[in-house]
Amino acid sequence: MSTVLQDIVANKHYKFIDGEGLTWQDAVRISTESLIADGSVSDNFHEQIVACIEKYGPYMIFEHNVAMPHTTENAEGVYKTGIGFMVCKNLIDFGTDEDGEKKEANLFFTLCSANPTEHMNNIQQLANIFQNEELLDALAKAETPEDILEAERKYPCGED
Amino acid sequence: MAKLDGKKLLACCANGAGSSLLMENAIKKVMTRNNIKPAAISHCAVSEGKSAASGYDVVLCAKPFAKTFDGIDTSKTTLITLKNVMSDKEIEAALKDAGLLD
Repeated sequence: MSTVLQDIVANKHYKFIDGEGLTWQDAVRISTESLIADGSVSDNFHEQIVACIEKYGPYMIFEHNVAMPHTTENAEGVYKTGIGFMVCKNLIDFGTDEDGEKKEANLFFTLCSANPTEHMNNIQQLANIFQNEELLDALAKAETPEDILEAERKYPCGED
Repeated sequence: MAKLDGKKLLACCANGAGSSLLMENAIKKVMTRNNIKPAAISHCAVSEGKSAASGYDVVLCAKPFAKTFDGIDTSKTTLITLKNVMSDKEIEAALKDAGLLD
């Protein structure tokens, strides 16, 4: 079975940007572009994610500058299950959380879900990736799809 | 018998599709590691969470959602709030603090 990172490369669900001076709203929008390109989501999908972060704060930004923008399962404008991966050379500022802690991200894993089983499988794999710091560091330096695959070959996630 | 054997746990986030699944995943790790067999581990959106809470022994959510659960019957349901929803270590420590795990 292929891994989520292999799927990201096979489906061209990736984006490599500089990110300097970008607002988080723009960054979220750009992270959905690779999903829009193959009809996984509609071109206004990002609006729902932005509204959710505006309402609840940047709780989708995790440790190690990882962002996992997402909405609900079977959300409006979602046609396939997938992950839009994006690397920013510069950190994107998401403001502060409820404890006043600064939230920034340079790795985006933007989720869309039309199929709960596939989505759960994606999440389980992402949970392992998000705790694999060496892999995250290597992914943050990726500039090409080949770099993504190389990072995973070097720092594979163990099965658990 | 472990305290959480046969209990029902619920993970909540804004949408019930992202962080709550990460949480559910981490809860399962904690249960396996401690050899606990809960009756159910589920997830949902916070919009449904408060009304669903009474059917669960433990509700877990990320800190920003804690206030959504104001007014739940805490004699029946324990609310646990987390800083890092995918951290099985934080979940384990929080369950111990709440006296639900030895």
